[in-house]
Amino acid sequence: MDYQTALSLALPFGLALAAIGSAFGLGKAVAAAMDAMGRQPEAAGKIQTGMIIGAALIEALTIYALVAFFILQGRIGS
Amino acid sequence: MLMHALANLALHPLLAVAEHGAEHAPAQPAGAPELPNIITLLSHRFHDVPFIAFLHHWENVIYAFTVAIIISIVAWAATRRRTLLPGKLQNFLEMVVEGLDNFIAGILGPEGRKYTPFLGSLFIYIWCMNMFGLIPGMMSPTGGKNGINTTAGLAICVFLYVQYSGLRKQGVVGYVDHLMGNPRSVVQWCLVPLNLPIHIIGELAKPLSLSLRLFGNITGEDVLLAAFVGLGIAATAFLHSPVGLPLHIPFIFLALLTGTIQALVFTLLSTVYFSMMIAEHHHEEEHAH
Repeated sequence: MDYQTALSLALPFGLALAAIGSAFGLGKAVAAAMDAMGRQPEAAGKIQTGMIIGAALIEALTIYALVAFFILQGRIGS
Repeated sequence: MLMHALANLALHPLLAVAEHGAEHAPAQPAGAPELPNIITLLSHRFHDVPFIAFLHHWENVIYAFTVAIIISIVAWAATRRRTLLPGKLQNFLEMVVEGLDNFIAGILGPEGRKYTPFLGSLFIYIWCMNMFGLIPGMMSPTGGKNGINTTAGLAICVFLYVQYSGLRKQGVVGYVDHLMGNPRSVVQWCLVPLNLPIHIIGELAKPLSLSLRLFGNITGEDVLLAAFVGLGIAATAFLHSPVGLPLHIPFIFLALLTGTIQALVFTLLSTVYFSMMIAEHHHEEEHAH
């Protein structure tokens, strides 16, 4: 197996794994935030701000995988 | 049928523009589809003209400046004749500025209002750059092949301003104290060799993650749009029709959402970095009293 085959097999799998991880993380964070908002609607603004910060930090990990994907994509060749 | 369509995808002139552009810069990775903009079309047509090659080389910078000039003109037109009873444009801009001001004051406290000019322009500028790529013939300076340079520039500005305001607010001693994790007891002093590198790496990681997040999101969105435009063209390629199916329309709404959220996230995280740098010392004093 040459490295092009290895890359074209591994890159989508790696990206999918990163997406699964951050999907679980985002699901937990958003579910907890929605719970808190339902319990205390008057604090919804503050909870939402915190949720967006947390979601951005979780999502960043997937984006790093995506950036690595973009960088290595050129190596696959055509 | 589908395989045939996918095989056509790479050969189609629209996408060939992107590949052609990549040929001139062999160091850049080819492959990711890109929607053509005015500069890549010009470069496809007249790639021997040095001025066009210059434009193509600096396309992100040129579009970033275009966005900045448009924002400046709109702001100038809105504030040229300020009246007590504002017109439509002035009213809208006052609403935007007031909303941003309240948003930032809600996180940084009332004394944080002095950072509104910086953080608010950051939000407006990034939002306009993200939206600019959705106008046909234009591109997002924050996405694409070299978009990382634009976002890194913005993130470095945030980094420098955060460090400067931390130094200004806490003084050199307080700043170093903050980087060492505010050691007060013997145990905490013993942990300083561990804390200091962690804090320094943490500070340096902030601009890196800010720039990569914005770049990755906007590039991903642009590549998604370009891939679906290509698919829409390939779907009608067997008819030799110049017009494709508009398969990318649902993703335009997704792009509107992502662009707005990422501009908000960039501003929000910058605000939080300011609040971490400025408010830390304040809390310590409050606890001491």
